[in-house]
Amino acid sequence: MWSLVLVGLVLGPALGPGYVLSYDMVWVRDLAVRADVLGLGSGLPRAVPSDAWVAVLDEVVPGMLLQKLVLLGMLLGGASGIDRVLAGLGVVSRLAAVTLWCWNPFVVERLVLGHWPVLLGYAALPWVLLGATRWRATGRAPWWLPLAVLLGSLSVSAGLATSLVLLSGLVLGPGERRLWARGALLVLAAQAPWLVSGLLHVRDAVSDPAAARLFALSGEGPLPGPLAALTLGGVWNAEVVPVSRTGPAALVALLALVPLLVLGVRRSRREAIVLAVPWAPLVLLWAVGWLLAVLTWAAPGPVGQLAGVVPGGGVLRDGSRLLVLCVPLLVALVAVAVDGAWRWTRGRWATPARVSLAVVAVLWPVTVLPDAAWGAGGRLVAVDYPVSYADARAALGEGAGDVLVLPLSSYRQPDWNDGHKVLDPLGRVLLPVPVASDELVVDDVVIEGEDQRVQRVRDAIELPTPQARADVLGSLGVGAVATDLTAPGPAPDVAGETLLDDGRLRVVRLDEVDETTSPTSWQVAMGLAWTAHLAVLLAAVVAGVRCARQRLRRNLSG
Amino acid sequence: MGSILGTVAAMIVGGAVATVTVVGVVSSQTSPQGDSPANVNAPVVVYGSTN
Repeated sequence: MWSLVLVGLVLGPALGPGYVLSYDMVWVRDLAVRADVLGLGSGLPRAVPSDAWVAVLDEVVPGMLLQKLVLLGMLLGGASGIDRVLAGLGVVSRLAAVTLWCWNPFVVERLVLGHWPVLLGYAALPWVLLGATRWRATGRAPWWLPLAVLLGSLSVSAGLATSLVLLSGLVLGPGERRLWARGALLVLAAQAPWLVSGLLHVRDAVSDPAAARLFALSGEGPLPGPLAALTLGGVWNAEVVPVSRTGPAALVALLALVPLLVLGVRRSRREAIVLAVPWAPLVLLWAVGWLLAVLTWAAPGPVGQLAGVVPGGGVLRDGSRLLVLCVPLLVALVAVAVDGAWRWTRGRWATPARVSLAVVAVLWPVTVLPDAAWGAGGRLVAVDYPVSYADARAALGEGAGDVLVLPLSSYRQPDWNDGHKVLDPLGRVLLPVPVASDELVVDDVVIEGEDQRVQRVRDAIELPTPQARADVLGSLGVGAVATDLTAPGPAPDVAGETLLDDGRLRVVRLDEVDETTSPTSWQVAMGLAWTAHLAVLLAAVVAGVRCARQRLRRNLSG
Repeated sequence: MGSILGTVAAMIVGGAVATVTVVGVVSSQTSPQGDSPANVNAPVVVYGSTN
């Protein structure tokens, strides 16, 4: 109930009718099931398998409702999980833990940045730890463990974190250790879509070394990077940092957190506090998360060189994203500290004083980050798409070939989205596979994209005449061009039939297109990857049904 | 004695927390963090800024 209040306060206007469009969070009414969402596009699989799940599920549940369910579920699910991890502690400490879990800079900054698959992984984290612990204790994985692993594997970085969580839970601490091989099989199957798609794109999977410095862990207000990371902040993008984190409140958060951590460590060692999961994986995960995050802050150069040479190395460049691994230990230590303080005051303090202590212990994360409230201070709002988007989708239909989205830049800042930035939603609204920019601009620095096809398209639209552009674009598999006329940036004319031009959007169908399809070997490889991925879901469903039948039988016989 | 100390400690902590909250709320309302505008030299919406 308390988590529901907190989550309602954090999301606020985001739960109203409409779509929440913030930076990388782009939801549409009905995302088409097409090659790029299945990992068969020409670009790196950054939204695989999350987009595929959305595309399939929004056939059943409208995209708007699905987004609300995901936003609510990922915060409530995680809070429920951490509450179970701390089940042996008192109510006050668990309330304090739930507050810190839901209301911290990591959650707020990732919400505004639109990294919902990362937050789904965050929600799955305590459940994966609980599942691994039970698997080791009983020799049988609980039925919901594959489901938690699957939910935690909807993006590359979330999948890697979930894999580390499961394997550390299976290897560290008391109990059977030989399960790690089966655990590795489970995480490999869950990660298969992005893993296989990434391997198919391995030639393009190195990233611009310049990005590491820009995406590194950053200081916040008075806190340098390592201390900001200790308090779960330090996102690279200053635009998404809550204002309270840039002032003295960040220092107060540190001053509140550190004594609680010290008290938590002392008490957990002195009194051998036992949680529902062992301490060892929590400590390992915190160390990995914090050290890697600090590495991006202390040595962005080598991290960038690594990302420029090793395919997939760019996953590590967003330093503060790795802090997801730090949260369980921090929250657990704070809960142990609060539990100790609450017990110590019993019989020593008057009831009003104890109640005051409890209120402070539970609410301090809110008080040092007050602007997280109400949709992160109004940053998360629900809006409706202008009717032009539905018109463009209807006018173009499935069409032949892919659709080029102009201007050839990644982000938009439309007035109908209250001026908030968002990854261009037009390509997601339309039915054909979009060809869109994968360049990023941070601080006036252009971070080059990896998709070589986009570079060829960029060269094509710089040709001198509309007909010449159309000819080359058609030969590259582009069958239509959709232009956001309100967005900044060049959008040269292309010869063809104008299907829509309403002053906001223009859609032009090219006369000729050489349709491109991915190689058969790619389709076979991705087919196998999706089979493995869905086998994880099937395992959870079968085990869940079996578990439910056993319970029913026990209830009937008992 | 303990209860008096406890009450005083709770008042101090509560007062500090209340002060921080008020300062935080006021500062968040008076200096709202906005998205940086599109770059006029290179007409493109930037993903973000690091400072």
